[in-house]
Amino acid sequence: MTDRPSIPPTSAGLSLPHFSLSARPPIQLTEVVHPDGRISQYPPPEYWDDWVEWDGKEWPKRVPRRYTLVPTVCFNCEAACGLLAYVDKETFEIRKFEGNPVHPGSRGRNCAKGPATHNQVYDPERILYPLKRVGKRGEGKWQRISWEQALDEIAAKMRQSKLRRPNGIVYHVGRPGEDGYTNRVVQTWGMDGHNSHTNVCSSSARAGYNFWSGQDRPSPDHANARVILLVSSHLETGHYFNPHAQRIIEAKSRGATLITLDPRLSNTASMSNIWLPTYPGSETVVLLAIANYLIQNDLYDKEFIRRWVNWKETLHAVARGWLPLKDASLAERISAHLASSPDPGPASSSLDLFPLFDALLKDLYAEYTLERAARESEVPLDRLQEAARAVADCDHKLATHVWRSASVGNLGGWQVARCLFFLNVLTGSVGTRGGTSLTNWNKFVPKPFKGAPSPETWNELHYPIEYPLAHYEMSFLLPHLLEEGRGEIDVYFTRVYNPLWVNPDGFMWLKILTRDDSPIKCYVALTPTWNETAWFADYVLPMGHGPERHDLMSQETHSGQWIAFRQPVRRVAMERSGIKVDFTYQANPGEVWEENEFWIQLSARMDPDGSLGIRQWFESPYRPGEIITVEEYYRWIFENSVPGLPEAAAKEGLTPLDYMRKYGVFEIRRENYLPYAKPIGQPEDYQVDEFDRAWKDGQVVGLVVDGAVRPGFDTPSKKLEFFSETLYLWGWSEREYTIPWSLKSHVHPEHVDRAKGEMILLPNFRLPTLIHTRSANAKWLYEISHKNPVWIHPHDAKRIGVETGDLVRVETEIGYFVDSVWVTEAIKPGMVAVSHHLGRWRLQEQAGVNRGASSLVKIDEDGSGRYHLRVLHGATAWTSGDPDTARIWWTNVGVNQNLAHAVHPDPVSGVHCWLQKVVVRQAEPGDRAGDVFADTNKSMEVYRQWLALTRPAHRFSPDGTRRPYWLSRPLKPTRAAYQLPQPAEGT
Amino acid sequence: MTNYAFLIDQSKCIGCHACSVACKSENQVPLGVYRTWVKYVETGTFPDVRRRFQVTRCNHCANPPCVRICPVGAMYQRADGIVEFDPEICIGCKSCIQACPYDSIYLDPETHTAAKCHFCAHRIEMGLEPACVVVCPEHAILAGDLDDPNSEIRRKLTVSQVTVRKPEQGTGPKLFYIEGNDWALHPTASSAYDSFFWADRVTEQNISVYALPVLPSSNGRTHGDTNTPRRAPSGTPIRLPQEQGRPWNGPVQFGGRVAEHMVQTAYNAQHKIYWHWELPLYLVTKNLAGGLYLLASLAVMLGGGLFDPVAFLGAGLTALIFMLITVILLIKDLSQPKRFYTILLRPQWKSWVARGAFVLVGFTALGGLWWLIEGAAQIAGLDPAWSQALRPALAWLTFPLALLAVVYTAFLLGQAEGRDMWQSPILPLQLAAQAIMLSLAALGVLGGLLPAFPERLTSLAQSALPAAIAVSLLLLLLGRFPSLASEVALLGYREMTHGAYRRHFWWGGLGLGHLLPLALSLFLPFAVPLTFLAMLVGLFLYSYAFILAPQRIPNS
Repeated sequence: MTDRPSIPPTSAGLSLPHFSLSARPPIQLTEVVHPDGRISQYPPPEYWDDWVEWDGKEWPKRVPRRYTLVPTVCFNCEAACGLLAYVDKETFEIRKFEGNPVHPGSRGRNCAKGPATHNQVYDPERILYPLKRVGKRGEGKWQRISWEQALDEIAAKMRQSKLRRPNGIVYHVGRPGEDGYTNRVVQTWGMDGHNSHTNVCSSSARAGYNFWSGQDRPSPDHANARVILLVSSHLETGHYFNPHAQRIIEAKSRGATLITLDPRLSNTASMSNIWLPTYPGSETVVLLAIANYLIQNDLYDKEFIRRWVNWKETLHAVARGWLPLKDASLAERISAHLASSPDPGPASSSLDLFPLFDALLKDLYAEYTLERAARESEVPLDRLQEAARAVADCDHKLATHVWRSASVGNLGGWQVARCLFFLNVLTGSVGTRGGTSLTNWNKFVPKPFKGAPSPETWNELHYPIEYPLAHYEMSFLLPHLLEEGRGEIDVYFTRVYNPLWVNPDGFMWLKILTRDDSPIKCYVALTPTWNETAWFADYVLPMGHGPERHDLMSQETHSGQWIAFRQPVRRVAMERSGIKVDFTYQANPGEVWEENEFWIQLSARMDPDGSLGIRQWFESPYRPGEIITVEEYYRWIFENSVPGLPEAAAKEGLTPLDYMRKYGVFEIRRENYLPYAKPIGQPEDYQVDEFDRAWKDGQVVGLVVDGAVRPGFDTPSKKLEFFSETLYLWGWSEREYTIPWSLKSHVHPEHVDRAKGEMILLPNFRLPTLIHTRSANAKWLYEISHKNPVWIHPHDAKRIGVETGDLVRVETEIGYFVDSVWVTEAIKPGMVAVSHHLGRWRLQEQAGVNRGASSLVKIDEDGSGRYHLRVLHGATAWTSGDPDTARIWWTNVGVNQNLAHAVHPDPVSGVHCWLQKVVVRQAEPGDRAGDVFADTNKSMEVYRQWLALTRPAHRFSPDGTRRPYWLSRPLKPTRAAYQLPQPAEGT
Repeated sequence: MTNYAFLIDQSKCIGCHACSVACKSENQVPLGVYRTWVKYVETGTFPDVRRRFQVTRCNHCANPPCVRICPVGAMYQRADGIVEFDPEICIGCKSCIQACPYDSIYLDPETHTAAKCHFCAHRIEMGLEPACVVVCPEHAILAGDLDDPNSEIRRKLTVSQVTVRKPEQGTGPKLFYIEGNDWALHPTASSAYDSFFWADRVTEQNISVYALPVLPSSNGRTHGDTNTPRRAPSGTPIRLPQEQGRPWNGPVQFGGRVAEHMVQTAYNAQHKIYWHWELPLYLVTKNLAGGLYLLASLAVMLGGGLFDPVAFLGAGLTALIFMLITVILLIKDLSQPKRFYTILLRPQWKSWVARGAFVLVGFTALGGLWWLIEGAAQIAGLDPAWSQALRPALAWLTFPLALLAVVYTAFLLGQAEGRDMWQSPILPLQLAAQAIMLSLAALGVLGGLLPAFPERLTSLAQSALPAAIAVSLLLLLLGRFPSLASEVALLGYREMTHGAYRRHFWWGGLGLGHLLPLALSLFLPFAVPLTFLAMLVGLFLYSYAFILAPQRIPNS
């Protein structure tokens, strides 16, 4: 052990990297790869181990540099695009990140955020060592501690909590950036301890998809689509921005029609053939009008619906009086028909019953005319007609996507996803080539070596009783629930999560964290860089950026399945050179660790003698009784859980782990169309019920369609659920909830008095260059985009009396924020829009969020819950190990508008409905761009108003449980934990 | 032959800035400067609105003006068509920046030398595509060999409808745009404000209203205003005639309700102004020095002994002092001042910067030699016969060099193709006239200072002075005519006369530089020191406006 080569230090965090000179010149690819003179895009993988190229900065001096190229995965958004790190063979410094050409999702290409990963590694302001708070919370006094100390102290607190109560530890994740690893860890603690950011993000759209299909994300096959219909801006943002943007433009270049709904001219809208600038909340009306156009003109795919939609169940719902129709005689006909043939059987009755469903659709949706849609959406009628004709003409190749946008904007926004997917259903574009698939058909999550059983408890702070259908945890209500005294948290981990800044009503988080008797007893922030919330933590533990950690990721980027392996590239490069690294923090800058190893060590220390039953899950499958290494963890998965990988590796003479170390990615299959329709067996082996479901041993195992048993969908009916029995039974029995329908948004014109100057704020659009609070340490991205002015239409600007650059106060329900304006025709009159990325701040001149990306502010609280954040100055240049920090030329870094947003939890999906009704006025004298004021007393009032909209489980549950068991949720507890507590007295 | 070029397909470009960042990463480009960027222009009226993206960078011109003007060959065109630069040679004169009509060159804050897109030549040579091409999610950027019939760029180019930026500059841009948009391609077609839609705007370029498309007129009406009493016989209101070369709504027209349509730059890279006070001051000091020798040598050539040795030594010393100041200014203005001598060691002969350096060195050397000989004859005991015998030859040799020293700057500025306003055919005459006027006044001052100065010369200078000023004034006012030749020149001229430099131009150039000296020389000839001082200051202010104004007109 003593004679092993020592680990070379890195300058990351201290200065820019230096590189060594290569002894040999580069290989000419024009000779060895393309002798015909064609130019290559990447060094071929056979040269990755040892690659020499000319230094671009030194050019035209020929300075050769020698690298080992290590594939990893970008961590800047959720798309998991491939990156290829150029690591110096001698200094092990990273020269740059390019794309990974063998990655099937990103195909060697990246967005601006990929190469900017380099800025994050060499960020001079990054946190290099574990820190422990020494003053009061938020005072900004820190003491460097060792990992040993951090592990010991935190593990002890966790052990105490585990012994004291069932759900005292919470892992609150912003960006997972990985599939399943940490959920497995939290599950081993035996508690319902997972919390996420999803309810400020995507869960509304997810809920809509889930009610249809039992899966909560679409996977549009953009590349082969004939019509692409987006209620989002996937050409600049969206979850899988780069992989999707590639394929959308591919299709468009081939002649596909791109249709985008957005009140603001996003870059995507600008690239669209048809832009539908809808009034917020009217998206469902537009989508249903298109649906109705297909229905009334018999342009929809009846055969698809006959096979795959729960139309028979829907007819039964009509017969039971669960779904009222306008035409009473039709309802009677349906009832009579069903009564005359009580057991219709799978094949026999379809043909004569289906016309009733056709009549039902025509009856239900007749009111959704394109003219009505034009009126409510304020979109020119001819554009809607053009869009409807395009959809009708899609030939089963309709790729659709809604992610955040309208679904997360509006009360009832989950119906946007439902109405959008309705068009896929009507056009038979589900799982087809060029249509829209579902996530699990294209995303692949391999099983780890062993997993702990489901938790036997229910965490009321995550899934409060008021939200039985909430698609994810009510994360953004955590401070409100704590303020109401609903619980306490012993150890609270945040990971890539900055709730004080990102969530609405951030001052509530500040209040909870800084209260003398804070219900959050110990707060551990896992973050590579400072963020506003981590400033109030008790421990700040630096965890690696994308190229400093292990993770497995797969995403449904297109029709195909792949998994990608994120790697700590310096560690891998060192290991390639024969330097042994025990823990990733030895190879990373400073002592920056990775969560994978941290969780193993922490969990094992939490249960040193195994008495809590936790340690067993962290023992190596290869070395019984010993604690697993991160390499063993992935080795087992690659050897046992990834179909085709061991064979592919063997073909190259590699172990599965070495294959993944070399390529960083594996393509499991290239195409996966219509998986729900592939026969899985003969119906003779099964019992078939009246709704075509195949039963075996008391379980529904598939759907009988056209004489064969097929997988169908992941819903209770195994079909696409047009009528949702779940919603009906759980208290949402009105027609506008049970079937795809339009719901009145909280910013419906009825609630917004334009004459009084009320406007709608679109606060959640993204820029192509940034990701939330994770890109403030990327100088190249901030140079391009550093502020978020208020977009306002010239008519509104004139009314208010402002011009581009002037300051305004945007007044919300609970306060206001101050920002400059950008006057533009690229937004609908009556709306203002502010990008959600910017407006970072710090409380100390020398510490906290990057000085080039944040304003120095002071926060005053008046003693009664009214908070005032005042900007002292904007971004500044400063001297550091990176000469670029002295060249920062911008000052305005925008406004943290979310601090002035009240919480708007949707009573069904649980998502925060982001759109805000605001009044925009000229700023007052003394106001500075970035100032924010909010009254947390009003915050609680608004919270209670929205809470009153819910239909709680203890009043509406049909079966005495907290939540429909079939609905997915992270760390699903045991069935027993679903039982509602017995009421103390009759309620 | 290999002939590299870019083809950018704006029908695919989504404005994501991946190319901008990949370039920064590949070439370690510092903050504040850009080798490639994506310009955004928003156009239209809601709901008919579009955002236009334009990937903007060096065009690798077939006929690159930056290469021609570079005095040392630090900017050069490779045989394969790539325009490349060598930071180890560049002296930092910034002429290439002025010569580029596309805002593609910047001064690197680390190396203090010129830099720009170099087509990732270091990658191309290994057989790898440029970093921007590789990263682009949409394959919207093609780079390749135009002369290879099999190359993707060649095949796509030949079947696509393409545009380039500013073909009228005669540079032969080799960056082609599919679906290039005129409002984005044309730098002065869109409005710009103090802010971009996600970034601060700090550049000095394009901030005056005179560089904006919609020009406010003095009476508060825009030039296309139909709200005028003038009517055609049919009764239809008719528009006032517009200013020449300055269409009412900018160079690219937007039909319909013109003023209510939006054409605004939402994002763009920001460019610094690189020539400041040093160059204008150098124009004055150099013109004075050149003018004095011009007069002295002319006098010798014409005979008549106007310049006696005292006059010559006085005038010559003045000229040499001002030449010394000139040289100091020139070296100071280099961002690599220690490399100033390389201009003489490795001149690039097509460059008027290099030619000018030799002119100035030759002029100073010869003028200095002449002065030494005359001085030695007066003071150091050299036989005056020698100086008398050499004088005609020295005069005949010095005259053309002095003339060139005065006027060559016009040819240098003429090579600066990024500033159309400087490409004025009367600029040599203006410089010569200013030189004469300055040196006549200087002779008047010397006459007052030096008791032995020949009376005849002083009085002749004083009587010629008003005429010289008048000629210079006339030429200065004629400067408007060449500016009409192009829209950019006109914008520069208006920026000078009505924009940020109007005080420099009117009060300085016209008032202090010409009108006051004219009045003084006519009515108070004994106040010649005041005249001279007013002239020096006035001409500096005029030169300042002349050099600075066109730099504020954006080229991208």
